[in-house]
Amino acid sequence: MQELDDYINKVKYLPPAPRILPELLLLIRQPDIDNSKIVGVLRYDPALTANILQLCNSAYLGAATPAADLSEAVTRVGFNEIYTIVAALSGSRVLSMAQKGYGLDPGDLWRHSVATAVVAQLIAKKQGDDENLAFTAALLHDVGKIVLSESLEHIYAKLVEENERRQQPLIETEKKLLGVQHAEIGGRLLARWKFPASLVAAVWFHHTPKAAEPHHRLAAYIYLANMIAYFMGYGFGHQAFALQGRAEALDILQLDSEQLPHFMIQTFEQLQTVEALFRVVA
Amino acid sequence: MPVISRVGLQNKVTVGLAEMAVSNNQDVLLIASSLGSCLGLAAYDPQVHVSGLLHAMLPDSAISPAKAALYPAMFVDTGLTALLGAMQRMGAAAERSLLFVAGGAQVLDSSGSFNLGTRNHEALAQLLQQLGLRACAQEIGGLLNRSLFLNVAKGEVRVKVSGQDLDIILCKNWTII
Repeated sequence: MQELDDYINKVKYLPPAPRILPELLLLIRQPDIDNSKIVGVLRYDPALTANILQLCNSAYLGAATPAADLSEAVTRVGFNEIYTIVAALSGSRVLSMAQKGYGLDPGDLWRHSVATAVVAQLIAKKQGDDENLAFTAALLHDVGKIVLSESLEHIYAKLVEENERRQQPLIETEKKLLGVQHAEIGGRLLARWKFPASLVAAVWFHHTPKAAEPHHRLAAYIYLANMIAYFMGYGFGHQAFALQGRAEALDILQLDSEQLPHFMIQTFEQLQTVEALFRVVA
Repeated sequence: MPVISRVGLQNKVTVGLAEMAVSNNQDVLLIASSLGSCLGLAAYDPQVHVSGLLHAMLPDSAISPAKAALYPAMFVDTGLTALLGAMQRMGAAAERSLLFVAGGAQVLDSSGSFNLGTRNHEALAQLLQQLGLRACAQEIGGLLNRSLFLNVAKGEVRVKVSGQDLDIILCKNWTII
């Protein structure tokens, strides 16, 4: 734990903490959600408020007459949809930049994160689990890469050489070269940002979902969604596919590998939603 | 639907996931971007200058004939049939055509549960063999996310790799490299 904190504290550039998101996530998971409570949280970020209104009134939601204020927007659009918008807006602030240490161009990490989030959401929904939690966890699952990118950039040639020589998962290469890997660093960062313990654990162990117990289901959603995002072409960077296939992710959710193509088809049919979310940039 | 834009004197056609495009335009640039484990198949009949590109996501339409009817290019089997058929209707012949394959990236997986990339390019290889056809060149498998470019005006087939600066040229002036 300490070495993770030490590492994070030493990094020159840390992504901005998405302050509203953890609070909103907590609120939205309660049984009796109050419109005014949601608006109360959102109102603290005027830039975010402006963005939300803009989006609600845009082609994304096909609104005929514009919503005049947040309260109206929330009523019109519904809690889940508002949550997705806020998560996407918050996420884009954190995830849109290039990450040269991984060979990621501007927007690459963002696109990967959004695709993973949409897939995780639809699998979780199908399995009867919390879709907003799954969406958020999957959206932020690679936040650790932002922390490590700077260090990796300085030794990029070494990273490439190690990757090509070893053909091992990226996580192992990171651990070997830096002493830490992006999943645990991401998890630690999200803990510091006060996200719920389940989300923290799921991100921490998104490459080894069984280890996230008792939050292994959420971790499995991230794991499978990540895999599907890669399959469908939403995974970028040098040696993008350097990750370990783990059947435990399927076992945890009592799924068969034969079901993966069906999730892919579902995602394909929601591609317009995915593409629209890509364009949500704060 | 494939997205078409004009770049200088060239028509650029981006063939998205589960899409295909054919053309008899000699200026066309066909692109299958960010293939992941999907399969990109580029084809060109030099005699009639007919080109085609398929961006297929899954190996076998048997898992959902209903979806295959809606999106034939989603599957390697129905996609290949659709591509060759459409090119034929423009006067092309499969036996005369140059075929190039890219994609089918594969995670490190001994369990076989996540071997979609491999299944995709193996499905294509099998179908091509059954039809008595052969790919001239391919860049498949491994850990790389690739994009495939068929530039008819230049007679060039190019593969770009995410996170890598140097492209792979499979064909220049219609000469296999």
